[in-house]
Amino acid sequence: MRHVASVAGRELRSLFVSPVAYGVLSLFSVLAGMFFILDLSWFEQALFQLQQYPDQLAELNLNDLLLHEFYGSISVVLLFLIPGITMGVYAAEKANGTEELLLTSPLTIWEIVLGKFTAGAIFIAAMVGIVGLFASALFIYGDPEVGKTASGLLGLLLTGWTYVAIGGLASAITRSQIVAFLITLVVLVTLLLLPGIAEFGIAGSASGVADTLRYLSVQLHFDPLLNGLVDTADLAYFAVMIGSFLVITKAAVESVRWR
Amino acid sequence: MIEARRLTKRYGDLVAVEDVSFSLARGEVVGFLGPNGAGKTTTMRMLTGFLPATDGTALIAGHDIFADPIAARRAIGYLPETPPLYPEMTVQSFLAYVARIKDVPRASRRTAVDRALERTALTDVRRQVIGTLSRGYRQRVGLAQAIVHSPPVLILDEPTAGLDPLQIREIRALLAELTAASQGDTQQTVILSTHILAEVDAICRRVILINQGRKVVDAPLSELTSGGRTLDQIFTEHTARDAVSAAASPSEATDGSEAGIAP
Repeated sequence: MRHVASVAGRELRSLFVSPVAYGVLSLFSVLAGMFFILDLSWFEQALFQLQQYPDQLAELNLNDLLLHEFYGSISVVLLFLIPGITMGVYAAEKANGTEELLLTSPLTIWEIVLGKFTAGAIFIAAMVGIVGLFASALFIYGDPEVGKTASGLLGLLLTGWTYVAIGGLASAITRSQIVAFLITLVVLVTLLLLPGIAEFGIAGSASGVADTLRYLSVQLHFDPLLNGLVDTADLAYFAVMIGSFLVITKAAVESVRWR
Repeated sequence: MIEARRLTKRYGDLVAVEDVSFSLARGEVVGFLGPNGAGKTTTMRMLTGFLPATDGTALIAGHDIFADPIAARRAIGYLPETPPLYPEMTVQSFLAYVARIKDVPRASRRTAVDRALERTALTDVRRQVIGTLSRGYRQRVGLAQAIVHSPPVLILDEPTAGLDPLQIREIRALLAELTAASQGDTQQTVILSTHILAEVDAICRRVILINQGRKVVDAPLSELTSGGRTLDQIFTEHTARDAVSAAASPSEATDGSEAGIAP
């Protein structure tokens, strides 16, 4: 497993010598900034309007109204940016012919898969770090709850990592980066829409199916974290999702040999 | 150092490589010949463990490539048909990465990279991004990644394909130098695939010729050419005859020499 770091290091290096990483990070910062300002002004407006209702004003707080919205928007931004980050992770190796180098080197497939996932995970951590900077600005002017602020960030991190694992699999099953991008986007949007599908599409006919669909949706497990509730069941969901996609990715990479 | 044992690769009914066996001793430099589509690349991919064999196996430096792949792969330097390069990396950082994944110990990694750069005459462009290099230079980086960990076994798949005559000469000189060095301390065993016969004349001492997936010739170069026959004639004889009898692959032997066709 010592080559996990070698593979991850190269992956990150390639991201940062090309404009991709900088492009994605700056685009992300701008989008995050816009959402932050919008949510902030919305919060301010709410604060102003509720001046005449002291009992409701007391309910108003930075976490539930501002950060909840902000983190929620960020999770959608991640959904659209991550396919762009992960599309090349395996597809480019095939295009460069470096797949042959990797698979004839003394590396195990797990080292390759985990190395590449680690690189993506670190990149997502950097993005969530940027979100953390925005959130921490609130501590200067107000006093949001540290726990809720942090658990929301954890939720973003786990959501991002899940998306990275899905994007990696899409990239492993195709040679084309565009195809990998589109597959990832479609799957992630479907995941986002699952609760809705469960509600309106299948509800009534077979509640077991609806329950399963709802359970599979990232949203259902991200929301408690947004509300400051760190439940082992939700953490397990993310671990199982990431783990399953990595296992399938490993099989997909290996399958090149058996064609 | 390299031992192919009845290597066979079938894709459904299509036989790519059939029952190919050979054995290369330490320090041998062997030319692996055959027309396009004869199964050269498939054989080499099986030797490196990139492709699984339908039947048979190969031993690299004593390790079974399928049963003990990690140890076997550690002993291999491999230049595939298209050099495996990351266009966005610099030559030096790419070689450092390859040294790392090839298990070169941390302490000797820098020396290994410097030595590979020097042997492939890449020291001047070490900080250049691979994507900006010419094709000839890229091919050299491909060679450098194959030798960076000083493997006892070198497997080179058409190292001069697609290069202009000048670049071919450079690469060939480089190969001659690399294989000459293998006479000395490192003793590298080299198997080199090509369909350019002059290359074999220049570098190799033994020839293995395959046609339509089967080994048809395996002999020292000196023995083959002892009767005054040229490699060209031998190549044509073995590939043309089979093409006629099997009536399958059209005009792979394009050398146009009619002298060698057997009765």
